Amino acid sequence: MWDQVGQTLNESTVRVVSRIASLLPGILALAIAIIVAALIAWLVATILRRILRAIDFDERLESWGVHGVAEWSPSHSATVLVARVAWWGILLLGFVLGLGAFDATLSSQLAFNIFAWVPRLVVSVVVILIGAVVGRYLARHVLLEAVNMNLQYARVLSAGVRWMIMTLAVTMALDHLQIAPGIIHLAFGILFGGIVLALSLAVGLGSKELVRSSLERESEKPFVEIEEPFRHL
Amino acid sequence: MADTFAAASEDAVRTDREGGAAHGASADLVVGLALPAKDQDAIANAVESTRAALSDFAAGLRAVVVHAGATSAEPANPADPVQIVPMPAPPGVSAEAATSLQGYADGFRAIVNVAKTLQARACAIIGSDATSIDRNWIAHLAGPVLEGGFDLVSPCYARHRFEGLINRGIIYPLVRALYGRRVRNPFGPDFCLSARLFERVPAATGQPARVHPVASLVPEAIVTGMRICQSHLGVRHYPSPDDAGLSVLLTQILAPLFSEIERRAAFLQRVRGSQPVEEFGAPAYLPEQPTGTDVSRLIESFQIGTRNLQEIWSVVLPPSTIVELRHLARAPATNFQMQDELWARIVYDFALAYRVRSINRDHLLRAITPLYLGWVASYALKPDNTSAEAAESIVERLCAAYENTRPYFVARWRWPDRFNP
Repeated sequence: MWDQVGQTLNESTVRVVSRIASLLPGILALAIAIIVAALIAWLVATILRRILRAIDFDERLESWGVHGVAEWSPSHSATVLVARVAWWGILLLGFVLGLGAFDATLSSQLAFNIFAWVPRLVVSVVVILIGAVVGRYLARHVLLEAVNMNLQYARVLSAGVRWMIMTLAVTMALDHLQIAPGIIHLAFGILFGGIVLALSLAVGLGSKELVRSSLERESEKPFVEIEEPFRHL
Repeated sequence: MADTFAAASEDAVRTDREGGAAHGASADLVVGLALPAKDQDAIANAVESTRAALSDFAAGLRAVVVHAGATSAEPANPADPVQIVPMPAPPGVSAEAATSLQGYADGFRAIVNVAKTLQARACAIIGSDATSIDRNWIAHLAGPVLEGGFDLVSPCYARHRFEGLINRGIIYPLVRALYGRRVRNPFGPDFCLSARLFERVPAATGQPARVHPVASLVPEAIVTGMRICQSHLGVRHYPSPDDAGLSVLLTQILAPLFSEIERRAAFLQRVRGSQPVEEFGAPAYLPEQPTGTDVSRLIESFQIGTRNLQEIWSVVLPPSTIVELRHLARAPATNFQMQDELWARIVYDFALAYRVRSINRDHLLRAITPLYLGWVASYALKPDNTSAEAAESIVERLCAAYENTRPYFVARWRWPDRFNP
């Protein structure tokens, strides 16, 4: 009996070792693919960065009115953002290609699934990124406008705008990934509606006194306006 | 002769568009109304003032009055030394923009282009209401250029203590501290330029150019070593106010001001102290009017800004400044005093943030509005701010604070990362 157990264990060990041995070339190939991809990615990112700096890409983006990208980017530079996206994109491609070195059927199926899913994932990530950039830009814009209009609830307005845009972006991304679409639609309706209702209540209740006092001011307004003593120009 | 000048005026547009050669017509002095005149009486006033001022100069001088609002040259006596031509409308400028600061800049360029085309010796540009103009205005503006050999005549006005606050609080002290010359109104809007200087004014019209013609005028004259003086012109009447709001106004003024600092950084770092410029005419002070100075709304604006804009300000200002601002926001209205050095450092920090693009530039410039209103409140509450004359000494102290704080600016400019908050 002990002989049989020993034999079975030996066979199992041989099978495991041979499986590992069969995987080793694949792992090596994957590592080489990642290293080569990293080198190419570094080269492409460096060239991209130099070209974009040479043409003053950040300044041009600013002059075209695209402001949010630079703010969100690392080092506040859209050039660095583009270079990093290229770097990671090429590295990811190298990883997926490296998977092809493993067992043909399994890895092909895996690679196929990944390749089929990657575009959706990329689009979803891009949607969320755009949502974050636009949300941050608009929230800041609303905050500044509200403060400069002397509105007491400026931060509430700003946060509301930000969360509305982020909610919209995340919902769009999840819907695109086909993750529980029914729940997503329902949740989006509730969340978005809730935010709008909360904002309306906040603004409505907050400005009740303001509206009343402005109406009173209007009705009591004298015929001759007192000139503001401060002239800024 | 009027037809010749009209043709020259049209040529100015063509030259501007095509970069072609100048026309053969010429004039000694071009007087341009950069903003549309209210009515024909205002234009007639400008023409009469120019005609009267010409009699003060050497005989035989010829002048052209350029103004917006007409479509063709008015018929004129060919023997008249003063001719009138319509201002060539810069392409792409809307009617709404014509009365704004951008409209003034476009008008400025258009007038300079006419002066270039006519090969004028001097070009006087009027940005104030045309009803302000009198014989002395033209004489005081053009005289130093035509007869004194100056390249730039900048204006000084008789103002109430609460007029021209952006200039008092930001433009004048900043330009004085950084460029080292005490030009009282670096943004004019009434100037006279020599041919040597207006040849350097950027010619692009229509689109907001990277180099602002008005903001770059005084720096260009200083950096290139041209002769600058200023003339006391008396009371200034203002054109219709821009309805865009204070934060937009500040953005329109500070963006070209800070851009110019960025362009001239190498020069600015070599400047030491400040030198006065030659002055013509005597300073005048307006009697104080009994107007109330309720600053509670200004202080409230500052407090709302302090409560809500910490996130943005903390990107721009160092922690010590933020702490000082918090203390100030809690101070009672009677003790509300923003120290001159604090205000100077804030303006410098915003100029630096504009350079390094810490945040979106439009947002950055809008974020200064509550701080500026805080400074205005503090300025209005100064115990010695009782008359226009006393206000001058307050501005003088502020300028000294800007000059004393200048090393902070230069250090941060050279090593922005080391000082990053």
